[in-house]
Amino acid sequence: MTDGPTEVPPSAEARRRGKMELVAATGPAILTSALAVGFLMAGEPLAAAALGGSALLSAVFSMMLRRRVREERTKDELRTRQLLQAQKLAAIGEMASGIAHEINNPLAVIGREAEWIQALLEDAPPLPRQTAAEIRDSLAVIGDQVRRCADITHRLLDFARKREPLRQWVDPIGLVEDMVQLVERVLRGRDIRIRRCYEPGLAAVFTDAPLLRQVVLNLLNNAVQAIEQSMEPSGTITVTIGESLPGWVDMAVEDTGCGIPPENMGRLFDPFFTTKAAGQGTGLGLAVCHKIVTGLGGFILVESKKGCGSRFTVRLPRKPGEGPAL
Amino acid sequence: MEGQRPRVLLVDDEERFRWTMGKLLRRRGYDVEEAGSAHEALVRIQKGDVDVVVLDVKMPGMDGIEALGRIKAIDPLPEVIILTGHANVDAAVEIMRLGGYEYLLKPCPIEDLTSKIDGALEKKRAREKLHGGP
Repeated sequence: MTDGPTEVPPSAEARRRGKMELVAATGPAILTSALAVGFLMAGEPLAAAALGGSALLSAVFSMMLRRRVREERTKDELRTRQLLQAQKLAAIGEMASGIAHEINNPLAVIGREAEWIQALLEDAPPLPRQTAAEIRDSLAVIGDQVRRCADITHRLLDFARKREPLRQWVDPIGLVEDMVQLVERVLRGRDIRIRRCYEPGLAAVFTDAPLLRQVVLNLLNNAVQAIEQSMEPSGTITVTIGESLPGWVDMAVEDTGCGIPPENMGRLFDPFFTTKAAGQGTGLGLAVCHKIVTGLGGFILVESKKGCGSRFTVRLPRKPGEGPAL
Repeated sequence: MEGQRPRVLLVDDEERFRWTMGKLLRRRGYDVEEAGSAHEALVRIQKGDVDVVVLDVKMPGMDGIEALGRIKAIDPLPEVIILTGHANVDAAVEIMRLGGYEYLLKPCPIEDLTSKIDGALEKKRAREKLHGGP
């Protein structure tokens, strides 16, 4: 179901790159060997032997060197991309919290005024019934919309908040299962099933449980919404937990929903990017997930095919700074 | 003491907010006074007889956090509720450290605020009982 992972390059991509490096690195060795054969044929055995030996050595060296350079370059690209994303998020966060604050104050004034009109209405001499009902209805709408705005500004402030992770040993299966059950409760009566694929005996992860819960819940909610947005109202969410590489734990949420069009792949983690209807999403969910997971020393890998579904994988080090580098 | 109307001091530089909020609280049975700046609030606190202070953070001149410290220095009895448009964990920690009772984010429904005011009042009266003897 995959179009190939995007965003943060996962190990699959790194492995694929590794293969390409091998092909590129052996190229010059073949060339030098061909030269040696040329000398031999020209009746210069000494030159040919020397060239052949050194050619082999230099080929091996150049192969190792090239591979190393490519590996470093891949890591550099990854780091640069992560750094850029982090800087972008920080700048947007700074601005967003400033704006949210400025908006909260007038919102508070609007909310209070509506409450006051409501109070006046209660004390006023009786109005025609229809008029009174309409005024009350209008005031209720103002109140609701103020709450809706407040929800957005409060989320923005939450997003911009600098929170250092508080790490402790966490059972990844227990943590994810709690969130799965929470979502299952909401799904009761609907034709969306959650399938569990948990690797038994998985060791604990040194991480921030509340932050990780927020990420898992967000991915599960997105999966539900993706299924709701697809042609089929029914679907399956598969939650997989396991050790992908030594020292790294993968928590994947896969859905059979609408999938992500390729043109949106690059913008998934951008704050305020959303495909959901007005009032359904703030466009901050995945941006927050990305921020949290990066802060926990991990990555989010995305695979998706439009119309077939998506898989979001959170890859976390068992203990930040201790696991083998990817 | 118990039967008295709770005395609330509303400190906010936004006049219209203070005005309407004052009316809403009075309607709910609170005795409300208003202050448009931290300085005005401090002058009022010095006179005594305030149960609960509802304090904004971002105000020109002295901000709410500094005002909180000074209020507690003048009179530790009134409970202080911070009502602000800006969520900031560091500020929240500082507020609690300085003896603030609660931290509320604007905009919030009036019921949220009144339940906090009532809680603060209860705490203050319990403390008074403790210190004043039975």
